[in-house]
Amino acid sequence: MSDAESEPDAGGILVPVGESVTLRNTVAYAVQVAEETDAAVIHFVVPVAWRDFGETSNAERSRSGSLLERVEVWANEDVDGADVSVETAIIGDDEYLFSPDDYAAVLAAYASSNGLDRVVVDPEYSPGGNVPLLRPLEVELVRRGFAVEEAPIGQPTRRQQLLGRGGTAGFGIIFVITFGFYQLLGGFTIVTGDAFDFWYELLTGTITAAVVAGALHRITISGTPHPARTAIRVGRLCLYIPYLVYEIVKSNVLITFIILHPKLPIEPRMTRVQSAVWGGPAITTLANSITLTPGTLTVRSDGHDLYVHALFPAAREGLFDGALERAVRFVFYGRASAAIATPEERGDCEILTETDEEGEV
Amino acid sequence: MLETAFLTTAAVLVVLAIAVLYRAIKGPTMQDRVIAVNVLGTNTVVILALLAVALDSPSFLDIALVYALLNFLLAVAISKFTVKRGEVI
Amino acid sequence: MNEIRLAAILLLLAGGVFFTFVSAVGVIRLPDVYARAHTASQTDTLGAGFVVLAVVLAYGFDADVIKAVLLLVFIFVTNPTAAHAAARAAYEEGIEPWTEGDERR
Repeated sequence: MSDAESEPDAGGILVPVGESVTLRNTVAYAVQVAEETDAAVIHFVVPVAWRDFGETSNAERSRSGSLLERVEVWANEDVDGADVSVETAIIGDDEYLFSPDDYAAVLAAYASSNGLDRVVVDPEYSPGGNVPLLRPLEVELVRRGFAVEEAPIGQPTRRQQLLGRGGTAGFGIIFVITFGFYQLLGGFTIVTGDAFDFWYELLTGTITAAVVAGALHRITISGTPHPARTAIRVGRLCLYIPYLVYEIVKSNVLITFIILHPKLPIEPRMTRVQSAVWGGPAITTLANSITLTPGTLTVRSDGHDLYVHALFPAAREGLFDGALERAVRFVFYGRASAAIATPEERGDCEILTETDEEGEV
Repeated sequence: MLETAFLTTAAVLVVLAIAVLYRAIKGPTMQDRVIAVNVLGTNTVVILALLAVALDSPSFLDIALVYALLNFLLAVAISKFTVKRGEVI
Repeated sequence: MNEIRLAAILLLLAGGVFFTFVSAVGVIRLPDVYARAHTASQTDTLGAGFVVLAVVLAYGFDADVIKAVLLLVFIFVTNPTAAHAAARAAYEEGIEPWTEGDERR
């Protein structure tokens, strides 16, 4: 193919990769671009969105590792003797990655330390796993001065992708849940009623569940479902709920005292906590738990930055102590992850409201 | 006995809901009203559940379920709407 | 056994009424929208939780009890989310949180 000798420092190509159906085409396209632009090297990197701890991350790490091995084999197949070398790496595993900005930052850092000036992205690449981050990621990369290209993937693969991801498993899950809920509202006459009830409930239930699952399975289920992991999380969640209820009742007594106190002794402050949990469900659980625990109210969440309104000092200290955060981490990542330092020790929290008279920060 | 207790509770909750109406009317901000209406709605859901027992008509529970979801949707929708378009009322 | 259940139901109803009362007082009395969102999400949720738990107990082992339990779960998931939505809307509109010494709003 390219027999012109490329300069050793002709720049290189960075390809962020993740599990996606169009990955193979992207690898081929990246190699093609490398040959056209005389790039000396292609780096395939997996930005990882977790901190290095616990058994979950080991599983993720080995998955990323095998993904990269596969990519390397493909790339070498395509390079086929041309003067392009292929490198792979896992990056970002020592920081929190959440927003497109975070991803762009680690990618840019990696690119500049390896002298890469061009980025090829997979159109189906979704770094966060469940949120459409690709477009903002591209914008961020362009802003940082990279030439960003999206691998051109034709119409056929797109259709295949819609069937592939979310797919039958997702459809099945939504279908079963919807069918169960439908029968629940019907008072389970499908079991208790006569033959007519059985067929009637079966037919209407199936139609309803099929319509709902057909319309929503791509929206509700993002990424590949992991039944085993989900089951473990649900189990841990059942341990978490009694703890949460205890916390709620305990601090409700406190807030009751404050509300009924004639002088209303409150000292509201807006605070910001950078929570050490990752992913949509975990952040949502944490934010809702914080709101449910009296005295603290999640006002905004910006990535893993939570803006929390705390009504009185005790609530604030409880929040900075991070007991809830630890519990949520236990639910989502297992026992090992609970050992991370509290937000206060990490310095991941601050009080935002300035008061006029005390000057307390 | 049980019916009386549930009916009494429902009556007290109605009175409390009327008290919360003060905040819904006075405001002053849109969000105050949303919060007040949300509390009112939660009270309504609870009252419906109480009536389901007191009047021995379990279908009230279905209404309560749907009302709870509607109440939630209402709060979220209005909150979104006020941010995008400014004051609604 | 039945007396215990009855006593538990009455206790739960009393607790529910009490916390709903506190939340009503909070919504009327607290100085700003964020503080009011606190009681709307927390005290009110607990009050509603107590009452619905009483309903669950009153039903015992009926098929309808599942609906009551579901109602409980809905309330616990949606209430804080709704309060969060309202508070976030307030924050994004630039309403400053009240601090001691400010005028009551």
